[in-house]
Amino acid sequence: MSEQTLPRTVIDGKAAPRRWPGHDMPLLVRIALLWLVGMVLIALFAPLISPFVYTSPNLRNRLVPPGTFPHIFGTDELGRDVLSRLLISIRISLLIAFGASIISAVLGTTLGFLAAYFRGIVEQVVLMLADFQASMPFLILALSVLAFFGNSLVLLIGLMGLFGWERYARISRGLAISASAQGYASACRQLGASPMRVYLRHILPNIASTLIVSMTLVFPEVILLESGLSFLGLGVQPPMTSLGNMVGYGREYITRAPWIMLAPALTIVSTTLAVSVLGDWLRDKLDPTLR
Amino acid sequence: MLRFIAIRLGRAMITIALVVTFAFVVLRLSGDPAQIILGPEAPPEAVAAFRKAWGLDDPLWLQYFHYFGAIIQGELGRSMRDGRAAIELVAERIPVTLALTLPALAIKIGLGIPAGIYAALHRGSLADRVVMMLSVAGFTIPSFVLGLTLVLIFAVKLGWLPSGGQDSWRHAILPVLTLGIGGAAVLARFTRSAMLEVLGQPFIRTASAKGVPWRDVIVGHALPNAAIPTVTIVGFMIGTLIAGAVVVESVFSWPGVGRLLVVAVANRDLAVVQCILLLVAATMVTSNLIVDFLYGFLDPRLRQNPGKAS
Repeated sequence: MSEQTLPRTVIDGKAAPRRWPGHDMPLLVRIALLWLVGMVLIALFAPLISPFVYTSPNLRNRLVPPGTFPHIFGTDELGRDVLSRLLISIRISLLIAFGASIISAVLGTTLGFLAAYFRGIVEQVVLMLADFQASMPFLILALSVLAFFGNSLVLLIGLMGLFGWERYARISRGLAISASAQGYASACRQLGASPMRVYLRHILPNIASTLIVSMTLVFPEVILLESGLSFLGLGVQPPMTSLGNMVGYGREYITRAPWIMLAPALTIVSTTLAVSVLGDWLRDKLDPTLR
Repeated sequence: MLRFIAIRLGRAMITIALVVTFAFVVLRLSGDPAQIILGPEAPPEAVAAFRKAWGLDDPLWLQYFHYFGAIIQGELGRSMRDGRAAIELVAERIPVTLALTLPALAIKIGLGIPAGIYAALHRGSLADRVVMMLSVAGFTIPSFVLGLTLVLIFAVKLGWLPSGGQDSWRHAILPVLTLGIGGAAVLARFTRSAMLEVLGQPFIRTASAKGVPWRDVIVGHALPNAAIPTVTIVGFMIGTLIAGAVVVESVFSWPGVGRLLVVAVANRDLAVVQCILLLVAATMVTSNLIVDFLYGFLDPRLRQNPGKAS
């Protein structure tokens, strides 16, 4: 007991080398993490670091190729700075992806817990809805909703938030059912803890790692989905911009100015790739059952 | 077996009913179609006449019943733009889309499944790593980026193939490749992990321990068992034959169902969108049914005890 609580320095007489949890991270995962940290920083500070206002046109400098000062990434058909637009696009796309992932994780986990707690008809309804969601191509559902509700950033985030909830619901339902059969959950219950407390304070932390891993699987798909919708011109609307949106109008200039679409396209691919690499590594680390 | 079929059919019906309800809720409760179609400056009499003609003034539950009844009778409404039957508009686009998605499906299956099996059987080899790397790329590269990259290489730089349109079979090559490559990568990854899972099972070890030649172990024991998860994915791909090319059709200006959907969404053409939505649901449900029956065929356990299937 005492040995476990004493700091190592006291036992050995010298400081044990301090290691951060990711010390055995492979190089590829480190690069992926670095890339994602960079993306998040860009998303947070985009308006501060972008060299130009992303909407301001400059008709004298249209379609300037990249590598020319001051437009390092070139300009588009209205002379707007591609780098500035890229930075803002990253911000919008990540905002949508983060917002949507959180909504879908919360929604799915809640429904999964409700199914696990009530069983019976509630469980059947949740499972039926999950089957329905899994069997319909989400892009088609999303397009139908957008067609008739019009479009706004909030609606788009909410809509994307409906993507992938069924996976969290299935996972959390299954895990919660098996967890409530375990000793710790029934111990809490017998001590008089409310179901809310048992589920949120005891079961949730125990299954969180699996849910986080599922989040890394859903997150890239949300990015792809949003960029697909925006590419079709049905997602983020101008004058706002997003990565898919940039690729969408950049394709009109694919022969004369391929840089307009290449920069955002590469960003989309690298970001989804980075999340996948990080997610694979996290899965091996945190949750051997999912492998 | 009869019970098995009955349960599956019941589920299919429920899914269709859910989609119909979804379509109704989303398409009817969101704003006023009359105003959207006629524009904000339309005279009130015109709006009223329009609402009457489309039954928009009835109470919602009545509209819902009419709606359900109409759909059961195959009446899917008319395009609010040109007055043609929505189903007609959609039907003439289906073969156009299938001209892309069927060859693409052949590429997915013909390339993806063998690649996945090969990678699993040679786990850790160079070929395995290449297959895995390509399949990760297939997961993370959006189809429009892949499509535009192919356009950039084969149409813009090399000038070998047209970049868009639907005039000859050469126009179909790039879109078919775009659809096929991405899908093959996904399928390869699923097949590989299904194979690896089966190869780790005790019965494989038993089979090879009792002296069954390795080839027979693979063909007779591993492949049939790995087929089940793979069939699920293939079933999903068959379900997306009609609507799986929305983005790719837009990239290559291919006038199929997907293009029609995008235009209908942009124009808020209610009838066409809901017609496509229902069509997609029907295809998905049908392919799920086929997959379920295939399960029963592939896995006798499910025939005995259908409840365990879910």
